[in-house]
Amino acid sequence: MVRVLLKFSKEIVDKPITSQIIMEHGIPINILSAHINQQGGEILAEIPTDQANKAIEAFRKKGVTVDVRKLIDVSEKCFECGACVALCPVNAIAFEKDYSVVFYEDKCLGVACGLCADACPARAIRLIG
Amino acid sequence: MKKLVESSGIEVAYKEVDVVTTGTFGAMCSSGAIINLGHADPPIKIQRAWINDVEVCHPGAAVDLYIGATMMSETRPFEYGGGHVIEDLISGKEVELRATAYGTDCYPRTKLETTLTKDDLNQFYLLNFRNCYQRYVCATNSRDETIYTYMGKLLPRFRNATYSGAGELNPLMNDPDYETIGVGTRIFLGGAQGYVIGEGTQHEPGKQLGTIMVRGDCKKMSPEFIQGATYTKYGTTLYVGIGIPIPILNEGLAKKVAIRDEEIFTDIVDYGVPRRERPKLGKVNYEQLKSGRITIKDKEVRVSSLSSLKTAKKIADTLKTWIENGTFYLTAPAEKLPVDTVFKPMKQTKEISFVESIVHEAVTCTEDEEIKTVAQRIINRSVNHIVVVDKEGRLRGIVTSWDITKATAQEYRKLADIIVRHVITTTPDESLEAAARKLAQHNISALPVINQDRRVLGIVTSEDISKLIGR
Repeated sequence: MVRVLLKFSKEIVDKPITSQIIMEHGIPINILSAHINQQGGEILAEIPTDQANKAIEAFRKKGVTVDVRKLIDVSEKCFECGACVALCPVNAIAFEKDYSVVFYEDKCLGVACGLCADACPARAIRLIG
Repeated sequence: MKKLVESSGIEVAYKEVDVVTTGTFGAMCSSGAIINLGHADPPIKIQRAWINDVEVCHPGAAVDLYIGATMMSETRPFEYGGGHVIEDLISGKEVELRATAYGTDCYPRTKLETTLTKDDLNQFYLLNFRNCYQRYVCATNSRDETIYTYMGKLLPRFRNATYSGAGELNPLMNDPDYETIGVGTRIFLGGAQGYVIGEGTQHEPGKQLGTIMVRGDCKKMSPEFIQGATYTKYGTTLYVGIGIPIPILNEGLAKKVAIRDEEIFTDIVDYGVPRRERPKLGKVNYEQLKSGRITIKDKEVRVSSLSSLKTAKKIADTLKTWIENGTFYLTAPAEKLPVDTVFKPMKQTKEISFVESIVHEAVTCTEDEEIKTVAQRIINRSVNHIVVVDKEGRLRGIVTSWDITKATAQEYRKLADIIVRHVITTTPDESLEAAARKLAQHNISALPVINQDRRVLGIVTSEDISKLIGR
């Protein structure tokens, strides 16, 4: 799951944007919290990883500011070979002492970089945003 | 064991330790599985077959197929291949089989479509002809562009390096003279018990490049230790987990299994040169490789593995548990593996051509020349490409007749404004095939030929190459 913060401006806050996207794209969006008034609003939501890019794009098209809280998703397919480690320019991927591969999501640049994704033999890395 | 030898000496370690377990988990392309389907009704003598759109090869009599790890899906090439088919079957997934045949009196059927799981197969055996390389090279890339190789993604100008292998944990590194590993040695293979059935292809123990051929029952294996994988723009493969127990039969073996990463050296190799003999840029040991940083040409370069050291350790630990629990028994080899084989290069009856055989003089200019002067040179010398060089003859850029035309139309005044700075180049020792691939890939029509100092030695054009191919 990808966690996103959706920011609605005053101009669009009265439109049923979230429900439209859920219905049009069939994406199950889970709303975790929502603070809305006439001046605008914020929704913290979760979107399934494989549909995240589609949903984010749809929200942005409708004028919503999308703040992605997680830029990289590593699936259970990862067998911790480490092919990605030396490629990461910001040290967001590293080996632990026991050669586990760890991902520091807060350091990751996401699709803005993306050097690791196509180097993954397990195809376990998905970049978001 | 390694620590024990260091702290208490070989004699004590030899007395204390009975067996040392080893492990490795990495991409092993020369792998595959043999399956038997049973007969269809009416029967078919399969000529060609596909599983999940991956062509599977070499039917023997009628319904035996070999799933090669590197065969790629015809609908999803470079993403799904034979390795993934093997993993899916081991995981219990259903796969789709398609087959065609020419039809005979005894096997009349010419087409077949069905679905299968591993339970539907009579035999499903992993049959890998080259596994477990004792050590492998460290790969890097001198080129100006990222390249995608069987050693993974290599960034331009030595910005990263990759390596493979478990170093001191590698099975063959712990028994380099094949005292205990031979035909019939029982091993950990893909999470089950398997066997060494011979030396692997390209086995060259004299250069610490030993390999083994193995066989094991896929139906008992686990997808944790057998996984399909993809190397972008290279192809698909299979990650194989192998562990071998080394019984400490003598003090000599106790000493050999004490080998440490710092004693295992390998070459740093430039995969930017697409030749059989790739330039070696230095030596490095596995301790340095595992540290994540090595030095290439006085520059610190980040390096990471393609094989999983964590899984390698898990395999050695699992094998140890099996032996302690009495569920795994060691075997003495029925026959020794050869220790003197060498890996010869291919005999070629027809030599192929390299850039050096068609390179010709490049028409050049310097950056400070007038556009008009360069335009005249293009006409006088009847060429389409002018290579821009500095005073020392080093490559600075390229200008084509098209760039000059564009400059005239758009009224650019200075040559410097129209020079193409990012130039795709070649070297004299590159094959014509590789040069032709560069031309097609970048949709360009000429490559300046340069040496290591970027001095321009000449130029090759797509016309030169097509003339040669057309001959």
